[in-house]
Amino acid sequence: MYEFDWSSIPGALPFLWEGMKVSLEITLSAVIFGIVWGTALAMMRLSPVKPLSWFAAGYVNLFRAIPLVMVLLWFFLIVPQVLRGAFNLDPNTDVRLTSAMIGFALFESAYYSEIIRAGIQSVPKGQVSAASALGMSYAQAMRLVVLPQAFRNMVPLLLTQAIVLFQDTSLVYVSALADFFGAAYKVGDRDGRLVELLLFAGLVYFLICFAASQLVRRYQKKLNAHVAH
Amino acid sequence: MISIDTVSKHYGSFQVLTDCTTQVKKGEVIVVCGPSGSGKSTLIKCVNGLEPFQSGTITVNGVSVGDPKTNLSKLRSHVGMVFQHFELFPHMSITDNLTIAQEKVLGRNKDEARDKGLKLLDRVGLKAHAAKFPGQLSGGQQQRVAIARALAMDPICMLFDEPTSALDPEMINEVLDVMVELAQEGMTMMCVTHEMGFARKVANRVIFMDKGQIVEDDSKDAFFGAPRSERARQFLAKILQH
Repeated sequence: MYEFDWSSIPGALPFLWEGMKVSLEITLSAVIFGIVWGTALAMMRLSPVKPLSWFAAGYVNLFRAIPLVMVLLWFFLIVPQVLRGAFNLDPNTDVRLTSAMIGFALFESAYYSEIIRAGIQSVPKGQVSAASALGMSYAQAMRLVVLPQAFRNMVPLLLTQAIVLFQDTSLVYVSALADFFGAAYKVGDRDGRLVELLLFAGLVYFLICFAASQLVRRYQKKLNAHVAH
Repeated sequence: MISIDTVSKHYGSFQVLTDCTTQVKKGEVIVVCGPSGSGKSTLIKCVNGLEPFQSGTITVNGVSVGDPKTNLSKLRSHVGMVFQHFELFPHMSITDNLTIAQEKVLGRNKDEARDKGLKLLDRVGLKAHAAKFPGQLSGGQQQRVAIARALAMDPICMLFDEPTSALDPEMINEVLDVMVELAQEGMTMMCVTHEMGFARKVANRVIFMDKGQIVEDDSKDAFFGAPRSERARQFLAKILQH
């Protein structure tokens, strides 16, 4: 019978925390970039200007039809060369984190743009008519009337997507980047305690994601109560 | 004030408006009625360019609505519009609903916009609700706020698109009272409505539409006394028999 030995975990906690910081950094940057670029893509997609709409549709369909791990590998292989060339970096500069962040951000934007597009379309057309009738330009109607309502409806979905994204950051292990999962793997491999470390990592992921989804659920209830007035 | 000249509109092969022609003079109150699908809402939305039209011309205060060179936003900021479903902004307080366009479109400062908004809110009898959100008000109250919001822009005329047809019966009068008062003060108004009591009380003329055409355009006495067309007679018989 396998005997568990958890003794290598306490000493490895500072290293694991460094890994967790990498995971959170990637998640946060991808969420922020994903929402900004995703909003732009959604507005292009809904735009009457055909080329913009086609570009956004193509972008979204492309990224949604490719496995994330492949996008990350491409970025791992291509982006470092590009960055080094563009900014004249020392060949030894570690750009794995930057390329992972860019890969995630571009990939997640495709998913965020679909959530945001649905959110914009969930705002009744009459709201735009009312804003226009008051003399607002299209941009003002979007910024002051449509987007605030759309985002309020979308917050639970955006947060749920962020939770999925946080789990997906573990895929950066393909670029040997020490995120939380990568750090746990390295410690386990070093001490010959892979099973314990991966069980521990799984528990941490579960606790964080479960707690976050409970918070989202509570927010959603509050939101529904507010709308039901 | 408003001049509509041989306006036609179609969606694909479906003709929505056919050669509509009429005028609204300054201070006049016009009621537009007709069966559903007759194009009356479409016609009123053409007046401030919310609906595009393919031929004919509409001018409001001398400005051509269909002209691509016209600054539609600027024109609309002077033409008040009230919608069937109120369309207050649900994420803003009543006060913000009343001030946002004054500030962002007319460039008024915060205090000025607020004073104006609250004065109009008081006028429609809802001063106590300034800090509430639209979802906390009844339909009739929301529609009165919507009228105040339009008036806050100092409009040269007001368009009403079935302002009472989404309301419960007991709330219709509170909205009509505000509209009657407005009419008696000399506001130029074009109202799509089935409220014939309102039409009898304040309308100068009644326009009857059917299948995208203006079938009748007459003084209210002539319209109610002896409608010229068979279709208008039938329509009146239907809505007045209860």
